[in-house]
Amino acid sequence: MVNVGKRLITGLGVLVLTSLFTVGCFAMDYPDEVEIDSLANLYEAVVFDHAMHVDATDSCADCHHHTTGTPSSSEYCAKCHDGAVEMDVVSCQDCHSGDPVSAENLHNPQPGYFYHNDKPNLKAAYHLNCVGCHQEVDGPTGCEDCHAKTEAGEKYYRSGEFAPEAAAHSSGH
Amino acid sequence: MKKLATYGIKPHDAAMKADGKQWSLMEKLLLGLTLDQYIGQVIRNKFNWLLAFIFAIGIPVIIYRFIFSLGSVTHASYDYPWGLFLGFGLFCMVPLSASGFMLGTTVEIFGRHDFEPIERLALLNGLLGYFFAVVYLLVDLGQPWRLSYPMVYSFGPAAVLFLVGWHVATYLSVQVAEVSTAFFEWIGFQRGYDFIRKGTVGLTVSGIILSTLHQGALGALFLYAPGKVHPLWYSSAFQWLHFFTSSIPAGLSMVICVSTIVVYTMKWRCDERFINSLDRITISLAKGAAMGLSTYLIIKLIAVAHDNEWAYLATGWGQWWLLEIVGFVFIPLLILSYAIRNKLVGLCRVGAFMTVAGILLNRLNTALITFNWKLYQEIPHQWEIIISITIFAIYIATYRFILNRLPILYQFKSQSDK
Amino acid sequence: MSKITRRKFLAGSAAGGAAMMLAPSKNALAAGSFEGFPDGMGVLVDLTRCVGCRTCEAACNTEQKLPEPAKPFDDYSVFDELHHGQKRRPTDKAYTVVNRYEPEGADEPLYRKIQCNHCNEPACLTSCFVNAYTKTPEGAVIYNAKVCVGCRNCMIACPFHIPGYTYNSVLNPVIKKCIFCYDTRLKEGKPPACVESCPQQVMTFGKRKDLMKIANDRIKKNPGQYVNHIYGEKEVGGTGWFYISNAPFEQAGFDIDLPKKPIIDNVKDFLAIVPMVLTIWPALFTGFHLLATKGKSHGHGDDHSAEQEDH
Repeated sequence: MVNVGKRLITGLGVLVLTSLFTVGCFAMDYPDEVEIDSLANLYEAVVFDHAMHVDATDSCADCHHHTTGTPSSSEYCAKCHDGAVEMDVVSCQDCHSGDPVSAENLHNPQPGYFYHNDKPNLKAAYHLNCVGCHQEVDGPTGCEDCHAKTEAGEKYYRSGEFAPEAAAHSSGH
Repeated sequence: MKKLATYGIKPHDAAMKADGKQWSLMEKLLLGLTLDQYIGQVIRNKFNWLLAFIFAIGIPVIIYRFIFSLGSVTHASYDYPWGLFLGFGLFCMVPLSASGFMLGTTVEIFGRHDFEPIERLALLNGLLGYFFAVVYLLVDLGQPWRLSYPMVYSFGPAAVLFLVGWHVATYLSVQVAEVSTAFFEWIGFQRGYDFIRKGTVGLTVSGIILSTLHQGALGALFLYAPGKVHPLWYSSAFQWLHFFTSSIPAGLSMVICVSTIVVYTMKWRCDERFINSLDRITISLAKGAAMGLSTYLIIKLIAVAHDNEWAYLATGWGQWWLLEIVGFVFIPLLILSYAIRNKLVGLCRVGAFMTVAGILLNRLNTALITFNWKLYQEIPHQWEIIISITIFAIYIATYRFILNRLPILYQFKSQSDK
Repeated sequence: MSKITRRKFLAGSAAGGAAMMLAPSKNALAAGSFEGFPDGMGVLVDLTRCVGCRTCEAACNTEQKLPEPAKPFDDYSVFDELHHGQKRRPTDKAYTVVNRYEPEGADEPLYRKIQCNHCNEPACLTSCFVNAYTKTPEGAVIYNAKVCVGCRNCMIACPFHIPGYTYNSVLNPVIKKCIFCYDTRLKEGKPPACVESCPQQVMTFGKRKDLMKIANDRIKKNPGQYVNHIYGEKEVGGTGWFYISNAPFEQAGFDIDLPKKPIIDNVKDFLAIVPMVLTIWPALFTGFHLLATKGKSHGHGDDHSAEQEDH
């Protein structure tokens, strides 16, 4: 169980997830399924069962910060985001940029940078959010528990049919 | 050679033959013997058989190293990048070769001409020790053909090794010049001899400077690895002093050892002057070695006190350190002191051999044994050991070849008999 | 009387001394200290985020065109490998490796990625006698294989056991280590491949000084989640890559006994005596010589020349 965590989650170097959660803003109006598929490269697209997660969690805020109209749970965020106002944007990618370390971002920090300077990139926002919770509730945490490796992925990880020959007859030293 | 002597055959020992003719180079190389006589005595010598045996195994391994890379003869360790070639070849050979500058200083700078009979032996010991340290280095370097890069192509002046490189290279040239007087005498090139003699003091002084610095610098090399060398062998303030001061008894003891071996195995080559003065000189050298050892011992203890490392003495490494310091510094010091007071030449020699062993132990401890004390102990690859032994055998063979010929242990009769 | 005149004598010692002056005068340059380039880039590594997926190892292998690994990058048995009782370390074939640690009393294992830490004042650089290493203004410690002689002093000097060596190359063995993807990415302002590949953003890329603030913020804003130390802020003079962790660093395989000063500081005492010896020794020992030999014969050298002239 604990060991499931070892199997890791994760990741794709090149996979930048851009679609998803382009959902409107009314409290109970959410998609039942979301396919996270853009640039699926090393791994197949993930079909995210949103309805199941809605049932499984107590509140949208478990995943969505304060954007769905719930008060912010973090005392640091609450200093500014003190109301329970529903935001126009709910999806992760609306705030979490795919490429936060572009030269442009580094040299011209965006407004609010002082507080939002430690914002994970989109891929990490997902993985940190999902895996962090899955570790606590014993959800799946292995990479391929959520998304199957593509051929490009096998090549990248030198696994499957691209496994090193050496691995077959010698394991280590 | 002893056997030949019983037949009344004498080796080449003067510029002119008894009949007043010049020796030819070939005759000189053959020690003034005929070819048959020469080959005969080579074969009779059991030691040559041992050397031949070592070469037969070792030289192919050395060739193998250059064809199949360093990784083929060592464990190719990332954690122990320096193995026996440097741990023994560089770090041990260099202090044992400090004799050149020690005796050079004594005779030429301090005017102690009573040490003259052994001066050339000490200079030669220095030259060969350095030369073979470089040979070990060439075997160890990944790209030995770039050895001259730090001199001519790309400079890393902040590096201690840069200093070592420059100084060993320069000092090697100084030593070649110093020993060349014996060579010029042997070859009969009087003008070269005179030229070098005129610069002797300059050469000797530069020898002192270079030796102080690079003997110390070899110690300072380990200052780059504060967490890797065990604290008892590491002292950021005193490391260079440890290496420098210990090189003094090391060099002097090495001369005692070599002269002992020589006088027992090559007596035919030593002249009266050498043999008659050796006992007196041995005791004088032992005095110097004892002084050096006591200084070294004190600085070692100061270093432990300075970094407050007494607690380490209670550990296993501490016992090992005590063995080195008590067994191979303090006890030789006692032996030497007793022997000097009672004029016991034999005991001086025992003390000298122990001192040399102590220096070897210290350098191997610093470079290999206590290195990475937090990780694991690397045991050198068997071929690495074989190559190290082989190079040492070549060193001995070269040493003997030169001693047999050049006027090191004897004086050319043309000059002393006039 | 002596045949060596005063003038000849001085000329002799000066020639000997001058020959040596060349080298060490350069060594004097070693003084001074360096705090790192102001806009140097760095990477903040948050050990609490790492799940040990080894994607960074795969990314590095691809980016740096390294040889095929012994095992696939999604084979987690490597975490159990021990070589001489030690966990894996970077080699000439893998510039970065992830190891697993089991801190005392923790439910989850801790994973740690190891690669060159790109020190502000690198020991490898300062120990190199052909100056093969460069600390670029962007923050990378890179290496010029064209001048490397192969002495491997940098491997001795590196406090983190990072550089590997291609021992098995006959004609061109070189040092191999992480170069912060300098040639292909850092130079253009892009993060290294491992950072970009990480699904958990264990590594945050940015200016070192900005990242240091973020690291402090994370520790401050998440009480109890981190030990109050940034490994690499001060260690060996500061490193370009630095770490925060929820377990004590020694339990994640870090050497916590490293000095806070750059490694080269240990050597400066020695380097300082070099010019001293060079300038004082010649005078001192020629002085000794004059004192010791005053009124005495100058020894065999002169005896010989005297004899020669008698012929």
